[in-house]
Amino acid sequence: MTMPEAKQILLLHRPWLGEAPDAETSEALALAGRDQELGRWWANHLACQQALRAKLRELPAPARLKESILADRKVIRPAFWQRPPVWLAAAAACVLLIGIAAVMLQPRAPDRFADFRSRMVRSALRQYSMDIVTNDMQRVRQFMAARGAPADYALPGGLERLSLTGGAALKWRSAPVAMVCFDRGDKEMLYLFVMDRTAVKDAPPAAPQVEKVNKLVTVSWSEGDRAYVLAGPEEADFPRKYLSPPNSHL
Amino acid sequence: MSAQGSYTGEGHSDREFETLVEQHYGPLYRFALSLTRTETDACDLTQETFRVWATKGHQLENRARAKGWLYTTLHRLFLESRRRHVRFPHLELDEAAGEIPNVDPDVVNRLDGQQIVALLGRVDAQFRAPVALFYLEDTSYNDIAEILEIPMGTVKSRIARGLAQLKQLLVKDTANVADNPEAIP
Repeated sequence: MTMPEAKQILLLHRPWLGEAPDAETSEALALAGRDQELGRWWANHLACQQALRAKLRELPAPARLKESILADRKVIRPAFWQRPPVWLAAAAACVLLIGIAAVMLQPRAPDRFADFRSRMVRSALRQYSMDIVTNDMQRVRQFMAARGAPADYALPGGLERLSLTGGAALKWRSAPVAMVCFDRGDKEMLYLFVMDRTAVKDAPPAAPQVEKVNKLVTVSWSEGDRAYVLAGPEEADFPRKYLSPPNSHL
Repeated sequence: MSAQGSYTGEGHSDREFETLVEQHYGPLYRFALSLTRTETDACDLTQETFRVWATKGHQLENRARAKGWLYTTLHRLFLESRRRHVRFPHLELDEAAGEIPNVDPDVVNRLDGQQIVALLGRVDAQFRAPVALFYLEDTSYNDIAEILEIPMGTVKSRIARGLAQLKQLLVKDTANVADNPEAIP
């Protein structure tokens, strides 16, 4: 065993876990015992590993995170039929009743539009990448159609004047979403998100609604079967600028 | 995957959820931070992971595997958010970087956790997750392979390469700090 080979093997050895070394590691450890240079490297490596491990493990999570997660849970509760077997067993006696009720019950209430909008803005703010990079809208539509995402979106006139950069087919709680990206011309991007309006219980009205979400300004509206969110950096006359005809009701 | 806590009885109860959050939100956040490098994104990713648990966690029959499930889900969400198209090549251990520099432990001791996360963030993306799991949770190689859904050999090669890169960055930044004490963010 050469010294570089021994180093590669020892690099993965974590004696602080009490793991018994395998034959290869034992051989490398024995070599470190005989070879002063390797021995020094190993001692140094161990001390360095322990320090790195301790520093990373002491990083605190933001205080508000736990509360946010727990608050989120209060909004999202699994439906009763999603509960584990104990519940299902208890419910077994009511199978007939459930069968009848299933016919009568309305479908489960869809999700809130604000959640969708907020999630999409977070997607835009996070580092993302486009599934398709092109300035040809027809190609973007073909791509969306192939992925099951909305492809028949109506493009506001203001966006048609911008240069298209591409798009991505996303999912929001199992609903397909088309994300179409435009270059505003000053290295800032605009994002158009399109989803079936029935995926939310409170789709926006036809008249565009402006809302600042996180660091972006959003304009939301519905047209036909689709709900739209246009998101971009804050700027004067944002809706008027991009939702000019055919959405001329602003 | 080793069990941490037991999730029995009415598995999806509020108490179970709170226990699960209490036990894992900190380590999951640190894992997310090592992947995303920013606090906001790490919080988003952690919160989204528990959101997925709230809606799909009931499908996990073996509740003792909740921890691994959470890590796998977080990692999948991270990959999805990055929408990577490049499949990273499978690297064998003997192909891993040969140059593993010596780092003075004092250099590490002078840094804080955020600075180390910043350095880890500069390690190649495919090596970052296994290295983070290697340090943060003392996760076994088997469990890392399960969480990241890659073969054991790949886990080891990625950790070896990731550790070598991290050490190279530490050496490089130590040299920078000698010239400019503000060099490490």
